[in-house]
Amino acid sequence: MKRLIAYGLVLLFLLFATAPYTVNAGLVFIAGIAMTEIIFALSWNMLFSYAGLASFGHAAFFGVGAYTAAVFLKYDYGLHFLLVIALGTFLGGVSSFVVAIIVLRRASGIQLAILTLALSQLVVTLIGYSAFLGRDEGIPSIPRPVMEFGLFRIDMNDQVQAYYFLFVMSLLAVALMWLLLHGYVGRRMKAVAIDPERAAFVGIDVWRVRVFAFTIGGAFAAFAGCLLVPWAQIVTPDLVMWLHSAQPMLATLLGGAGFFWGPIIGVLVLSMVNYATRTFAGLSEVLVGGILLIVVLLAPQGIMGFLRRIVERSSTGKPAMVEEQA
Amino acid sequence: MMSLYLFSLFNGLVMGQAIFLVAAGLTLAFGIMKIFNFAHGAFFMIGAYVAHALTGQEAASLPLFLGAAFAAAIVVGAMGVATDLVVFRRLAGVPTEYTLIAAFSVMLLASGGAELVFGQGIHAIYPPAALGGLIQMGIPISVYSIFIVGAGVVAFLVLEIGLNRLWFGKLIQAVARDPWMSDVAGLRVQRIKLISVAISFALAGLAGGLLVANQSLSLDLGHSYLLLAFCAVIVGGLGSVKGAFFAAILFGLADSLNYILLPTMPGVAVYALLIVLVLIRPQGFYPELSQ
Repeated sequence: MKRLIAYGLVLLFLLFATAPYTVNAGLVFIAGIAMTEIIFALSWNMLFSYAGLASFGHAAFFGVGAYTAAVFLKYDYGLHFLLVIALGTFLGGVSSFVVAIIVLRRASGIQLAILTLALSQLVVTLIGYSAFLGRDEGIPSIPRPVMEFGLFRIDMNDQVQAYYFLFVMSLLAVALMWLLLHGYVGRRMKAVAIDPERAAFVGIDVWRVRVFAFTIGGAFAAFAGCLLVPWAQIVTPDLVMWLHSAQPMLATLLGGAGFFWGPIIGVLVLSMVNYATRTFAGLSEVLVGGILLIVVLLAPQGIMGFLRRIVERSSTGKPAMVEEQA
Repeated sequence: MMSLYLFSLFNGLVMGQAIFLVAAGLTLAFGIMKIFNFAHGAFFMIGAYVAHALTGQEAASLPLFLGAAFAAAIVVGAMGVATDLVVFRRLAGVPTEYTLIAAFSVMLLASGGAELVFGQGIHAIYPPAALGGLIQMGIPISVYSIFIVGAGVVAFLVLEIGLNRLWFGKLIQAVARDPWMSDVAGLRVQRIKLISVAISFALAGLAGGLLVANQSLSLDLGHSYLLLAFCAVIVGGLGSVKGAFFAAILFGLADSLNYILLPTMPGVAVYALLIVLVLIRPQGFYPELSQ
């Protein structure tokens, strides 16, 4: 299975790395969007699979990042775009820290789901008041930044340069999340997810681990939001709506909850479904809903779990071990 | 000034009853299945579309209007039976997150299906002539809004009496509290669950048929009440009809007073109220008694 994942990742890397030279402009655009969605989905999966928290309002933090970047680019405050990204990520982290402090104290399970959902809708409502943030219409035609790095410059007005900027930033984010979750921090989170009571017994501060996970998850979501803005050049409250909050869940479940790489597969499948059905209104919802239902009912471990079962069955002849699910 | 507040209070009451009509089925479904049915709003919308398809833009008479609403209830109830047989039944004992996401995918299916069948158009719907007038009671009150309040109260009384006094309601409660013990005692648990899910969905369809005249019919209809209904169910105590009833009124009043007290920030009060109430009392007004 490990080898299979490695091959898959190399293939994926090559596909994304060569996209501007191999496929048409429309698909390149979708690949760029997919990269931001991948970070977004991974950040949600970090909460869900590693810390056991199902947030239904994760798009709020994505929105914090996106709107921060949009404001700085649209109104041109002359801040270096990398600093804008840093600022957006920081604000996303701060806001999710505050939300975590309020919400995690009392709520869990369904209460947590509804509270986070309501908070994200509150953000949508608040954006609706602000002419500065474009109210319900959002901020359109955002200019792309030009970044000076002393030795070289990146001009995002050039589609290829913009794509590779996105690509490198996404790689960094994914690598960072991988490192974070495959060490001490990740194991602590997993312990809390599987059994908070026992985790507390062995001396893990459950409350702190949860707040930390929520904060980091929000920061990465905001980072994804920041990256989307120069690429899509428009932000609308739709980015904050609950339907967008649902995207990482769908991707995670589809790809395989409990696997670090699961959400990536999920995002790719969802992007392809959306691309293939873009001309039929309603069809993509039906397809996505149907696929997801099949996954939840028949293969709760998602595509990755399904693959693992096949691989392990064929290599050992024994049925796969069912991993304990929090 | 006084009449303004009176008007707003009454509006809040109407809004609260409308929320309750949606929330009733939701809380019932949770009580019996322990599944928070995200798809409820989508089926509410389908009910509205079915009623609209039967009556057209304006129902010719009150009986026709009511008949269409009941027909919508039956159609959506049948969908509920199908949903339970195919999806919900298999989710017993699955972690909450998965049931939430399964319900979410049912919602996607239902709303996407509605989009394919009914199209993306927006229809303006009017109440039938018998409910169209205004009554002067110090403040102008539309007959339709009185009708909504009446419908909400009737639905509440029927559910409360049905669940707490009638034999079938007691069976439902027994199954909700302890399915295993009910099974041992010889109840047909699956069938009782199926019927309660059908009732829950039928309530969504009925609410769709009754409330459709309140606003323009579009694919977003499900969302407008759904979130408020979620809030009412959570704050009222998951699974409690009584709690949902009072919480719905509370949210209706909060939303309508919001327009007077904070006219520049419409829609904030309900969220503030939700956050405060959940933090003070996370288990809700009437927490369910089962384990």
